[in-house]
Amino acid sequence: MMDALLAQLPVALGMGIIGAVVFSAIGLISGSDETTTIAPLTLLVVLIGVPPAGVYTFFLAGAVSKHMTHAVPTALLGIPGDTMATPMMREANYLRQLGVPHIALRKMISGGVIAALIAVPVTVVFALVLAPFGGFVQHSAPYLFLIAALAIAYFSPGRWAAVLALGPFVLVIVALQTLTAAHGVKLGVSYFLGIAIGPLISDLFLVLSPAERARRKRDRPARFSLAPDVKRWRGYFPNPLKVLDSRQTGWTIGTAVVSSLTFVFSPVAMTVIMGEVVSSRIRHVYHRLTTTLAVRNGVTESTYIAEALIPLMAFGLPLSPVAAGPAAPLFNAPPRFTVDSASGQVNNLHNLLGTWEFLVYGLLAVVLALLIAYPFSMNYARRAASFVSRNISHEAIIGTFVGLILVIGLWEGGLLGLLVVVTVGLVGGFLSRLLGFNIGVQFMGFYIAVLTVPALTALL
Amino acid sequence: MAMRNDRLLEVWNDTVDGHHLIGSLLIGGAVSLGTFQAAEWLLGMFISDPRMARTYAMLFGIIGCVVGGAICAYLFRPKREVVEDTVDTENLQGVLAALYADYGSRGGVEDLPEAVRSELRELELEEAFLVYERDHAQGDAVALTEHDLGRAGREGVKS
Repeated sequence: MMDALLAQLPVALGMGIIGAVVFSAIGLISGSDETTTIAPLTLLVVLIGVPPAGVYTFFLAGAVSKHMTHAVPTALLGIPGDTMATPMMREANYLRQLGVPHIALRKMISGGVIAALIAVPVTVVFALVLAPFGGFVQHSAPYLFLIAALAIAYFSPGRWAAVLALGPFVLVIVALQTLTAAHGVKLGVSYFLGIAIGPLISDLFLVLSPAERARRKRDRPARFSLAPDVKRWRGYFPNPLKVLDSRQTGWTIGTAVVSSLTFVFSPVAMTVIMGEVVSSRIRHVYHRLTTTLAVRNGVTESTYIAEALIPLMAFGLPLSPVAAGPAAPLFNAPPRFTVDSASGQVNNLHNLLGTWEFLVYGLLAVVLALLIAYPFSMNYARRAASFVSRNISHEAIIGTFVGLILVIGLWEGGLLGLLVVVTVGLVGGFLSRLLGFNIGVQFMGFYIAVLTVPALTALL
Repeated sequence: MAMRNDRLLEVWNDTVDGHHLIGSLLIGGAVSLGTFQAAEWLLGMFISDPRMARTYAMLFGIIGCVVGGAICAYLFRPKREVVEDTVDTENLQGVLAALYADYGSRGGVEDLPEAVRSELRELELEEAFLVYERDHAQGDAVALTEHDLGRAGREGVKS
């Protein structure tokens, strides 16, 4: 066992460092959603043949780093770093108005550090507890996905509209698959990319239409005020336990453990709920602001780790919103990683890594993220936020993503692949905007199309 | 390239110049696709397995995406006005009013653990909290005047 661990160590270390550096930088770009950034890059890492341990540390170090640096635009610019940062906007804005945005930033990142360290061992233990049910779960996967999809749809912003829209959406996917199969093309990644990047695709179509373009006219550039930052410790590496007081540390650990166990729920919802639970127990309003921020950002880390790792370790099936979204390429990245539709047979990191490897490399990834993202965002937050908002235009970000759509679409299925990415993105983007049929529900819809529909038609 | 205010649009949650957007789509598309196709052609001469050659070509294509994005970032400046904020502490009492109205507070600064209190002191906020709590003692925190809420109140709601 030790030999196997050591043999993969250099790859795991190298990929973890790359993941941490790349996603520390991406986290600084406000509004860079996790699914649109983590999923395609992880997919790439899988497809160029990086060994399993490297794929795993790349993903985990990336996700953990991103959820630290996303606090920078959230606290200093007052715009959410990504989807997971939105529940922290209210408290962060108050601290900004009080003139202490750096406190908001440091409480958030330090909460994240502590929670990420706790979450990996808790998650591994919980996955071991659930593992005996793995066979049953794999066997009944097609139906479990149906139930999970209905539940996730109901708890999405669209409620019943999202539940009912699952039918037509699944039909669109099945129809597209039948069409491409008729031309000998089998697509997987193109669907993921289309769903993940749907909001951009639908927005680009919208501004082409004259009526909608008129509505989107702005008469001046967006205005942001960048708050000042004050350093209050010596040296390069701050101690998170000194940034948080003992009660904040306690609550952060407690909520990290709880949110590691609730891996099937929406990560944003868990972040909101855990924050409310703690907030109502803190008496003074200032203490409440800072504690809520530490706890909420802690939960963004722990819930992401748990939602990716528990389904991966215990079942090998993407049975959680994170597993079906940003972590999807760890489960399903044909031709290398596959989930077989009929039998529920899986061939992915679930089979390729053992328990010890999940634990050791998981901790390695978290530690790498801490060593890179934590001191970086504590020391250079203001300069980084200033650089990104002054030098990286939104046009450049859109140009990069459109390039990604073209390359991945054409790479996987030629012109047909590209058309599928655009079709899925357009339909999904509109459903998300108009009905609240969000990206998580769309990913579940995709799995119903590839797992549940074949199983049901086999019965008929 | 200069932006023009009459071409500004909101796309994907931020502001862009319509012409710059078209430029970015063309540059981003051309550079990434060009790199991908060129890499596939070149690698095809050295790697015998065409599927592997294609996968590595995809890696170059993705690098092409980033290069395209960098060219766009160089050509097109951000449409953001970034103001270096010096927080006006004059309105601190207004912010506190909005904060207390929004969250409510049980107990005052005196009841806080010493660690939290000294943190407030270091941030030079202790005095402001004490003043606010003295002026709004005994549960009349709800009885806010329009003046108290002021700008901070509206911003608090907006956030």
